[in-house]
Amino acid sequence: MTSTHEQPAEQRESARIGLAATGLSKAFGGVRAVDDATVSFHHGKVNALIGPNGSGKTTFFNCVTGMIKPDSGTVTYDGADITGKAAHRIARAGIGRSFQLCRIFPRMTVLENVLAAVRPPSRTRLLASAHHRDDVARARELLSRVGIEHLERADARDLSYGQQKLLELAGVLMADPDTIMLDEPAGGVNPALIERIAGLVRSLNAEGKTFIVVEHNMELVMSLSDHVVVFDRGRRISEGPPSVVQNDPRVLEAYLGV
Amino acid sequence: MPSASDRTRGPGLTTLLRLAGLLVLAAAVLSFPSVAANPFILSVGVVIMSYAVLATGWNFVGGFTGYMSLGHAAYSGLGGYATALLIIESGLNPWLALCLGALLTALIAVPVGIASLRVRGASFVIVSIAFVLILQLVFQSWGEFTGGSNGLRVPRPFGPDVLRPEQHERFFYLHAAVLAIALLAWWLIDRSRFGIGLKAIREDEDKAQALGIPTFTYKLVAFVVSAFFTAIGGGLYALWFGYLDPIFQFSILIGSYMVLMSLLGGIRSLYGPLLGALVVGYSVEFFKNEYGDTQFHLVATGLLLGLVVLFMPDGVIPALAALLRRFRPQASSIREVTQAELAEQRESQESGPITQGAKR
Ligand SMILES: Nc1ncnc2c1ncn2[C@@H]1O[C@H](COP(=O)(O)OP(=O)(O)O)[C@@H](O)[C@H]1O
Ligand SMILES: [Mg+2]
Repeated sequence: MTSTHEQPAEQRESARIGLAATGLSKAFGGVRAVDDATVSFHHGKVNALIGPNGSGKTTFFNCVTGMIKPDSGTVTYDGADITGKAAHRIARAGIGRSFQLCRIFPRMTVLENVLAAVRPPSRTRLLASAHHRDDVARARELLSRVGIEHLERADARDLSYGQQKLLELAGVLMADPDTIMLDEPAGGVNPALIERIAGLVRSLNAEGKTFIVVEHNMELVMSLSDHVVVFDRGRRISEGPPSVVQNDPRVLEAYLGV
Repeated sequence: MPSASDRTRGPGLTTLLRLAGLLVLAAAVLSFPSVAANPFILSVGVVIMSYAVLATGWNFVGGFTGYMSLGHAAYSGLGGYATALLIIESGLNPWLALCLGALLTALIAVPVGIASLRVRGASFVIVSIAFVLILQLVFQSWGEFTGGSNGLRVPRPFGPDVLRPEQHERFFYLHAAVLAIALLAWWLIDRSRFGIGLKAIREDEDKAQALGIPTFTYKLVAFVVSAFFTAIGGGLYALWFGYLDPIFQFSILIGSYMVLMSLLGGIRSLYGPLLGALVVGYSVEFFKNEYGDTQFHLVATGLLLGLVVLFMPDGVIPALAALLRRFRPQASSIREVTQAELAEQRESQESGPITQGAKR
């Protein structure tokens, strides 16, 4: 497992390309959810992926993370072809993700939810206790990092939606991905929690994690991201720094639905 | 830091209670043959133990992964026939035949698992039923090898000098030993990293895979282990009962019993299937004895299965536990928002901020 977070900041500046898609397409019946999309994301950055509702952002996430198979096009990660690979292989290559409608394991405890994401060091260690001391310590550390360590023994389904989102994030972090893809992390959570999630993204990014964030909250996108990619009708229509994208006429057009 | 690890394992009292429960259970099981009033009661005991082994075997896949196989009689049946045929055709020692038969059955479960674990929910249930029905047809029509519809006599492992009650007693203990091993294996998996992965699959398979769990391999391993223990149960039963008929060995009814027993007792708990076997096994034998082998127990099984699935999908033990919890004083709820409130929040958030942001 490679870890970028030991690298000094200067080295990260000359960033390599991590996740990249070329000519990616996926149609549902007649709907071209993702339509010949070509886009790449640099390591070490907080990338935002924005676009109107139904512009194919979630489908793009699903295609690159192996949840659904694209109809055509290629996906690479750190230069290696991962197109159509099984989701767990892509996850193990270093890509973690959250889901738009937060997904957790409802009838497992909060602690177990995080422990489930442990990557056993080898196959022979699979029958070792799930509550291995080191794993539990790391899980607790992550739970306290997202701020819900006091709930570790609660059933995940008894958490509020915001707490479930934090739990999902802790689970994703447990797998120690280099690239973290968040699908609307601020959706349906209160402003205080949005602030906490933003803070987490910033600090994790400072430690070297790459982010690709789909988000509708523009204020958040503008304040959080280094690079913004705009989708409309399944393809990239603009990209660049937040301030530039914000004033791009094509973007305004897409959002105003001309 | 001992206090830290204690918190995850629960307070010492629970552990103590569990240990006490285990001892009581073991004592009850071990003393049963000596307190059983007559050979008939003892034979009912063997049947119940056999059900307990089968249900616990079923629960390796049903309980951990949530894949509900209604056709698990395929593996008990194959275990039974493999044991019998290995003795008859190869002259193998019966106990060796039992183990080898179960291994062979586990081997057969590999391609079956690969084919059937690709589909979920009702489709998986249907595939599992199809497989057991195919086996029934094959074993019925392949007369010269399997005995066909005439059935197959299984050589007795103990000589003719061992009388019936003694036979029952020995088989009771053999079943108890196998059950103990199966429970131990289930417990080991339950507390392991592998087990937590399987439970994650039961909760949300796609999410589990997105976290990096190789879901298909996990399911397949659980499936094969389940087939192995179910086959041991089937083989042991064949050695005791001494006779196999495809109609009974490969019946959906046996598979339904396994599901019903596990669901009734609780698929998430170690002793759930055992408890379910006690209730279902006893009722089945009771009705058979009172009313003969009518179709009534079919109807009763169906009804009970429906009732449990509808009203106690987690099983009776968890339902009772939940009831107990409700009477205990509780700290204020940690739930801050209800699902309905949430939906509202999301609705209003969908359109609002996005257009504002872009205009700015
Ligand atoms: N599983 C699916 N089946 C059919 N249509 C889908 C499915 N998923 C997405 N779509 C359609 O694809 C388009 C893109 O959806 P989505 O990727 O969810 O967009 P976004 O996340 O940008 O809002 C929409 O028109 C949506 O209705
Ligand atoms: Mg979406």
